[in-house]
Amino acid sequence: MKSLHDSHFDSVDVVLSRLSDVDYIADRQLATAIYLAFNLEKPVLVEGPAGVGKTELAKSMASILEVPLIRLQCYEGLDESKALYEWKYGKQLLYTQLLKDKLAEMMQGAVGLAASIEKLHAHDDLFFSEHFLQPRPLYQALHQERGCVLLIDEIDKSDPEFEAFLLEVLSDFQVSVPELGTIAAKVKPLVFLTSNNTREMSDALKRRCLHLHIPFPEAAIERRILERRVPGLSETLNRELVAFVQAVRQIDLKKQPSVSETIDWAKTLLLLNAEHLNLDLVRDTLYVFLKFEQDIASAREQLPALLTQARKDAEMAHATGSRHAKHA
Amino acid sequence: MQQAQGMQSTLEDFFKALRGSDLEVSLNAQVDAARAAQLIGWRERDLLKSALGATLAKTQPDRAVFDQAFDRFFRFDSFGVKGRARPSSPAGASQELQPDPESPPQQGSGQGQGGPGGCQGSGGQGLSQLLLAGDSATLSRRMQQAAREVGLTDIWFFTQKGYYTQKIQQAMGLELLDREITEARRQTLAPQRLAELERVRKHLFNEVRNFVERKLSMYGTAPTRELHDDFLQTQKLSNIDRRDFARMHEIVRKIARRLAERHARRKRREQRGQLDFRRTMRANAAFGGVMFETFWRSTKVERPRVVAICDVSGSVRQYARFLLLFLYSLDELVSDVQSFAFTNHLVDVSATFESLPVEQAVDKVMQAVGGSGTDYGQVLEDIDEQLMHRIDRRTTVLILGDARNNRGEAHAEIMKTLYGRARRVIWLNPEPVSFWGLGDSEMKRYAPYCHIARECNSLRHLERTLDELLRTNSASA
Repeated sequence: MKSLHDSHFDSVDVVLSRLSDVDYIADRQLATAIYLAFNLEKPVLVEGPAGVGKTELAKSMASILEVPLIRLQCYEGLDESKALYEWKYGKQLLYTQLLKDKLAEMMQGAVGLAASIEKLHAHDDLFFSEHFLQPRPLYQALHQERGCVLLIDEIDKSDPEFEAFLLEVLSDFQVSVPELGTIAAKVKPLVFLTSNNTREMSDALKRRCLHLHIPFPEAAIERRILERRVPGLSETLNRELVAFVQAVRQIDLKKQPSVSETIDWAKTLLLLNAEHLNLDLVRDTLYVFLKFEQDIASAREQLPALLTQARKDAEMAHATGSRHAKHA
Repeated sequence: MQQAQGMQSTLEDFFKALRGSDLEVSLNAQVDAARAAQLIGWRERDLLKSALGATLAKTQPDRAVFDQAFDRFFRFDSFGVKGRARPSSPAGASQELQPDPESPPQQGSGQGQGGPGGCQGSGGQGLSQLLLAGDSATLSRRMQQAAREVGLTDIWFFTQKGYYTQKIQQAMGLELLDREITEARRQTLAPQRLAELERVRKHLFNEVRNFVERKLSMYGTAPTRELHDDFLQTQKLSNIDRRDFARMHEIVRKIARRLAERHARRKRREQRGQLDFRRTMRANAAFGGVMFETFWRSTKVERPRVVAICDVSGSVRQYARFLLLFLYSLDELVSDVQSFAFTNHLVDVSATFESLPVEQAVDKVMQAVGGSGTDYGQVLEDIDEQLMHRIDRRTTVLILGDARNNRGEAHAEIMKTLYGRARRVIWLNPEPVSFWGLGDSEMKRYAPYCHIARECNSLRHLERTLDELLRTNSASA
């Protein structure tokens, strides 16, 4: 079995190619951040609009490193007992009941309260040991024999208190459990925190992390993503589609279509056996990548212009693309 | 070993330059950056940029600042040579790969060429030769080396320009060059050589001076700006120059962010007396249902609803500008700001603020509403008519004005009604308390009907008032 740190990245380019092996197309900026996170053993705070592959990045890293992915989804009201550990109260209760006789036996011969307690103490804190501990994601992550990728998703949704609690985990990869002492990671996990920027994270948290912002991808990268994620998509349609989405991102929308929406749309068009984008086709499938009524309306208004723009861009991409191919 | 040290000092200079760009870099991040640079190496500029960026810039806006600073810092500070263009001297060819001649790889090669600056004996001789030959690459390297020797990164004020220019020239071997010039002058046999030498000396001076100027703009801005910021914050708002507005906006935004951070955490407050049963049961299950630990229901504290009413007549407009700027920068903490401006009648300006960036909106409002002849009586009547129904127990009314009424009717009774209806009435008066009630000031008559009435004429005052506005609000909720 491989452990996390058996894997090794010699350079940023290795990261890039390994990511692309698992169908995650990234730019060098992203690969650099991953490379550093891995080698400096620091968590990465990943920001960016929804649907650009923040969570996917953690999943891809887990599969590259062949270690489990442990995910902690944050929400308002998330607290230690759900993130770190909890005592299995039911089991504790059941066991004390079952072992009543045994306890009584044990206590035989002890005279007086002090002596009984003395005897009990000889058996340690039986009921507050790891057997009665319900591990939650953070605890699990620290306990993985081979290390893991820990994904703390949407950290901006958690409360500031929880954010403060995380600091110990993020800087030292350890947590303090009052009953058990300090638990340090067996193998330091690779930690990703994602944020959609609904609120500003505290400076203390930011200080402990590397910062990575994933923007909407450039056309060339988005085309490569589609190639990988939607096999069977024709090259022309890929170009037109990406050019169109890139054009749509330029207009003023409530929610801009993200990579995941582009992929959905590509799959839809593939199902519809489309060869080229045309006015009717786009109008009928707008709702696949635009999620708000008013966005759809404003895109519909500008549809012809967008489409011409997209066709022009696609041709340009084609021209430069083939020129590059010749050079190569 | 020496290479590592050179790297370290280059990085330290870069951190200084970042401070100059108003990007605070924590010690922690600096350590990370150093480790990252070691891992990545200095060969590839883009790679280094994204590696340092990931460790030093912690937010997207910071990243933009960082990128700019990086490009400025890791730029080849070449020693321009006029006339004798020697396009590709061997060292110059490596410019593309190694963006900054200060970076270690080139230092090694510099050592080979007679220890730049170190030994002035041969260095001086070399200087005139180099200048005459126009060896730009070696000259730049020597200039960098000299800059390091004299500690150019400590420059912080423009009056130091001359001093550093002189120092660097000397470290580059100016003395010998001067001696050569004197010699040439004495000999009078070679007037052409004299002219040539004097020309290159002038050229040297210009190049070094430009170099120092660039460095000043990189390193010198941080300390001077701190001084300036301090000054701006305590200065009377009405005295602040127009050219400082941009900086003031920046400061206001910074303070607003600080206030936001301080108060964001107070938004929840326990309501003593209401047990949160579910949470209590859950937490106390471990004690067999005996409630050792209790949890109480908490409510989100309501964010204040603010009605800001600002006098924008000549004497007070500057204050209104910054108050409004403040309020709108605090939009995270203040749920609902309605703003009104007046000189002699009330105008609702909220719409302007919603559609335009604050800075532009302020200017627009000032132009539209501004004027002279304040009439507080009329304005209070307007408030009574248009606004009173919107003010209830949850509203905080913020009035900014000097209460100088040009001897008109005061209508203090409307203030009394306002006082009765609103959660709080806060009056900010730019005039010192000792002036209140003097001349045509009606402040003494209005003040009893304000929960808070205070002097407010600098950013510091504004900050304190708003801090209080946010704090008392969450405490009393």
